[in-house]
Amino acid sequence: MTNIATRQGGRPAGAKVSTHRGGQIASVIQWSAERGIFVVTGVLIVAAAVFVQGFASVVNITDVFHRAAPVGIIAVGMTFVVISGNYLDLSVVPQVATSAVILIAVSNSYGLLPAIVVATLVSLVYGLINGVAVGYFKANAVIVTLATTYIGLGVLRWVSGGNIFFGPRGGTIDTLGQLKFGPVPLSALVLVFMAVLLGFVLSRTGFGFALRAYGSNKDATRLAGVATSRVVLGAFLITSLSAMIAGFVLAAFSNTAVSTVSTGMDFGALAAIIIGGNSVFGGRGSILRTVLGVVFVSVLTNILVLTDIGYGWQQVAIGVLIVLAVSIDALARRVGK
Amino acid sequence: MTSLQQHDIASGSLDRMWAIGARRPEGRGLILLVAVVLGALLFEPGVFTAYPATLGRIALIGLVALGLTAVILMGELDLSVASTLAVSGVVMAMIPNLALGIIAALIVGLIVGAINAFFVVVVGINSFIATLGMLFALRGLALVLSDEQPVRLADVDDGVAFGAPLIGPLTPRVLIFIVLLVGLHVFLTRMRAGREFYAVGGNRAAAKDAGIPVTRRIFTGFMISGGVAALAGAINTLERTAATPTAGSTVLLASIAAAIIGGISLNGGRGSIIGTVIGTLALGLLQIGLALAAVQQDIQQIFIGAVLFIAVVTDPASLRAVAANLRSSMGRGGGATAEPMPSSPQPVAHQ
Amino acid sequence: MQDRSKTETAPIVIEADAVVKQFGGVRAVKGVSVSVREGEIYGLIGENGAGKSTLMRMLAGLYTPDAGEVRVGGAPLQPGAKSALAAGIAIVHQELNLIPEMTVAENIMLGSFPTRAGFTESKKLRAVAKSTLEEIGVAIDLDEPVSRLSVALRQFVEIARAIARKPRVLIMDEPTASLTPAETDYLLEMLQRLAGRGMSVIYISHRLPEIFRICTRVSVLRDGSLVDTMDIEATSPDDLVNKMVGRELKLDLQVRREAKPGAVVLSARGITAPGVRGIDLDVRAGQIVGLGGLVGAGRTELVRAILGVDPKSAGMVTITVDGKSKRINSYRDAVANGAAYVPEERRTEGLALTMTVADNIALPNRRRLSTSGVLKVGSIGSFAKELAARVELRPADVTRAVGEYSGGNQQKVVIAKWLGREPRFVVLDEPTRGVDVAAKAEIHRLLRSLVDAGAAVLVVSSDLPELLDLSDVIYVVRDGEIVGTLTAAEADEKAVMTLAAGGKMVTSA
Repeated sequence: MTNIATRQGGRPAGAKVSTHRGGQIASVIQWSAERGIFVVTGVLIVAAAVFVQGFASVVNITDVFHRAAPVGIIAVGMTFVVISGNYLDLSVVPQVATSAVILIAVSNSYGLLPAIVVATLVSLVYGLINGVAVGYFKANAVIVTLATTYIGLGVLRWVSGGNIFFGPRGGTIDTLGQLKFGPVPLSALVLVFMAVLLGFVLSRTGFGFALRAYGSNKDATRLAGVATSRVVLGAFLITSLSAMIAGFVLAAFSNTAVSTVSTGMDFGALAAIIIGGNSVFGGRGSILRTVLGVVFVSVLTNILVLTDIGYGWQQVAIGVLIVLAVSIDALARRVGK
Repeated sequence: MTSLQQHDIASGSLDRMWAIGARRPEGRGLILLVAVVLGALLFEPGVFTAYPATLGRIALIGLVALGLTAVILMGELDLSVASTLAVSGVVMAMIPNLALGIIAALIVGLIVGAINAFFVVVVGINSFIATLGMLFALRGLALVLSDEQPVRLADVDDGVAFGAPLIGPLTPRVLIFIVLLVGLHVFLTRMRAGREFYAVGGNRAAAKDAGIPVTRRIFTGFMISGGVAALAGAINTLERTAATPTAGSTVLLASIAAAIIGGISLNGGRGSIIGTVIGTLALGLLQIGLALAAVQQDIQQIFIGAVLFIAVVTDPASLRAVAANLRSSMGRGGGATAEPMPSSPQPVAHQ
Repeated sequence: MQDRSKTETAPIVIEADAVVKQFGGVRAVKGVSVSVREGEIYGLIGENGAGKSTLMRMLAGLYTPDAGEVRVGGAPLQPGAKSALAAGIAIVHQELNLIPEMTVAENIMLGSFPTRAGFTESKKLRAVAKSTLEEIGVAIDLDEPVSRLSVALRQFVEIARAIARKPRVLIMDEPTASLTPAETDYLLEMLQRLAGRGMSVIYISHRLPEIFRICTRVSVLRDGSLVDTMDIEATSPDDLVNKMVGRELKLDLQVRREAKPGAVVLSARGITAPGVRGIDLDVRAGQIVGLGGLVGAGRTELVRAILGVDPKSAGMVTITVDGKSKRINSYRDAVANGAAYVPEERRTEGLALTMTVADNIALPNRRRLSTSGVLKVGSIGSFAKELAARVELRPADVTRAVGEYSGGNQQKVVIAKWLGREPRFVVLDEPTRGVDVAAKAEIHRLLRSLVDAGAAVLVVSSDLPELLDLSDVIYVVRDGEIVGTLTAAEADEKAVMTLAAGGKMVTSA
């Protein structure tokens, strides 16, 4: 409703004015929302290194990197979709698996370059379908990407027959998959590269700027003359290309590919994005936060594995963290008004 | 005095039929269902004789979809149903006494619903994310409680008995589905609290102004969703005579799809139980039909995905959006659209 | 005219006692006292921003007074919609509060469905809804979803909802804004009938003929204070207008710019859209065109249709710059050809509140601030600073979130972002609503400098002094049509008001 309260920035009946004490709590909450993830991640890593047996070994660190990389790559790409206020892209699941299968299967028969070309084309098709439906048809992203997930998984299983594809031992893919620099595998460097590149796009290009503004206020952004449909399309294209690369990384790591390799990576990536403190409602969002979210979740999961706390508790932890992250954000919003 | 007349009061059955077909949100789901039924009659009549299996398959997804409908009508979403299903199934299996187990499962569902509602209403988090978190957390809980192993029912015979037809060819699962269907339909159409769900979803501010207890309604909605998911979990456990902690992972998205095809709007205020049932039937029949026609499962999935995709992009709102885009890029200002009614409060008249 | 004898000595049913309400630092209502008796129709008038809405919401229990008290039947009113409803106060807002997919009957009975053991008593619900509609004298299909009704009928459904609860006090906020004269007659007759049966009505409207037709007493608000409360017989339309408007007409009307309007920049023909009925309009370079009119006249709809912000069903718009005419088919077209739009709702449409001032300013200027898509380091900051200085943003800190600034400063940011594009055609809708006096003067200065530099400016304003101050020519809009044109010389507040409000009501008993 257009009422004077909103016009003049006021509050309707019942809103409490913060007292000094309330003010202190408010600033703690706001600080947590802003900086919490940075501090907590740092503390977690240090604590792990000191207290958790086996954490600080080369083998373990490599393992953490390996596990973090695919989901991390998806997450940095999908951040664009999340920041635009479109929740997530469920179709990353078939996209990752498809690109993994294409990489191995096509390169086995035709070589590496054709494989990459085909995978890129497929990825662009996904991005276009999702992006046009959400950006131009204004359809709900969850449903659209759900539909493309069904279609994509179906197509993948049909074409691949559910088979596992193996790359040749010692082939290019295999070598790259095993490549390490100290404890840091190539996949982690790919993640870093993607993060830097996409971080640049999000924070330093006109497109990224428009996207962030769109996430903050769709109407105002449209009225500022921005081609908002195109911006949304771009977000989905970026997500698709990231999913493709994540698929490559996965395939290279195990030198195999199968259609089930990417299960759960949609929500896993979203969890990392949210825990990092990106806001679905715009306003706070960056690739750095996503990376921190990925690191935090990976390290935490690793700690839980090393201390023999079951997979179940890991899931509980992630769920609690998601709710915690968003609660802090919601409260910070409320006290900030 | 002259009276003020509404000019187009629907009169006559043809008018009313048009009103139902074209205007009501269930319309498109109905078209799909009719198409599927016709297709089945023509190509795969086996679907109808195989209906015990058909119904059973549909019932679980449909059950969860029914619960979800209550929440979505209010403009919220509940992603946690999959994990609620799993957790309550596990809880039930862990308790040797069947009756107590079922009650415990239901209580779990209600508590989960209350927690979800708490986060949405009291803390003020977006329901998508809040229930996403619960999806993870409860899945974890299920794994922890079950030690990552399937949990056998104390008395396997209970499970077997449950799978046997009770009334005619209808198994208990199907009967429960029907009971719940009727119950929720009545709730949402004939009971005040249920009708007010539509208000909460259609125009929350107006609902508040009219004195509707919005918070209470949201709690009720989530508890319905959680309770029904728990019921589904109990049923699932009985049918399989064991509870697996990963149960329900495929159900979530399928039930959302069913509700969407049935015409529900994710913004709230629009849709119905009947619509959800139509959507469930349409999708279920389609799937069974394709399976009987020996269409591979992958192709089935492609089909379902395509149907869902078409459903969502042919939503009237989407079509209007695209038409507007096209019109402006082609340089014509013509083609008046009917004055849309905003679903959230907006000024009727500006200066 | 209402029979006063009954109400003169009737008990007071609702009163506001020296109520004060403040938002942020601004006092919207400053110590106003009004009292309404049983069975009377009480008019409340004042310009936009005078505090009518706020006072009304306090009377309806939607706002709690910061000071003073609202009493119903002598007892203090508890805050909240529910207690207000219980106390017998019903309010019909200007913006419709209906549930689109629910039926007419359900909307009428919203929140008060008759139930038995939780089940809606459908027959009873329909009966009450039906009898309420009969009482109003309107025939609508009870089962029709309200989204399918015309705007006017929706209004009546909303009125029916208020009346269905048999309130003691009915507050109506600009109820005739979207009604035709015949429908308005209807409504007024209905209100008189209801008042005759003991219901009190608080009637808020700009439309003086209506006030004179049905009200027994009227209060005039101005700038948040009560100017006067009078019996209707003791006043006249002229008197009311004077009281509403009666600033010491600041004769610091700046030296009237000799407007030397240049070539036509914007040309709109036959613009037709919801609320706009085939309007033609030209705006020339170096000219400020003002659009005057009442709430609901269609001015906002008109400018949005011209710009392409909202779809139009017919009409042609052309922007001519440097002799080259371009037909405008979409909002982005308009912006690309030198248009700038400062919307009415700056918080929801004009700004991304969580982003910084600099980012907001940069948003429409991305191309200028980047090379091949990449934003130039530091360019945003310096660009924004320069524009912030130009609009006199206070404090001139472009790194702060724009949501933290006052209304006036926020509006300056909205303007600043367009200045960077050197727009040729600027449209502003209520540019100084909710803006403090100093910022208002600064914004006016900005507009004048824009127009002096050759831009064409179109302003919608309900602030009459502002409209008169700024405009070189005023078009008065009423019911989606332009009903009058006033040059700067001929225009004064009365002339505008008369054209805007007058002639709508056939009879004024």
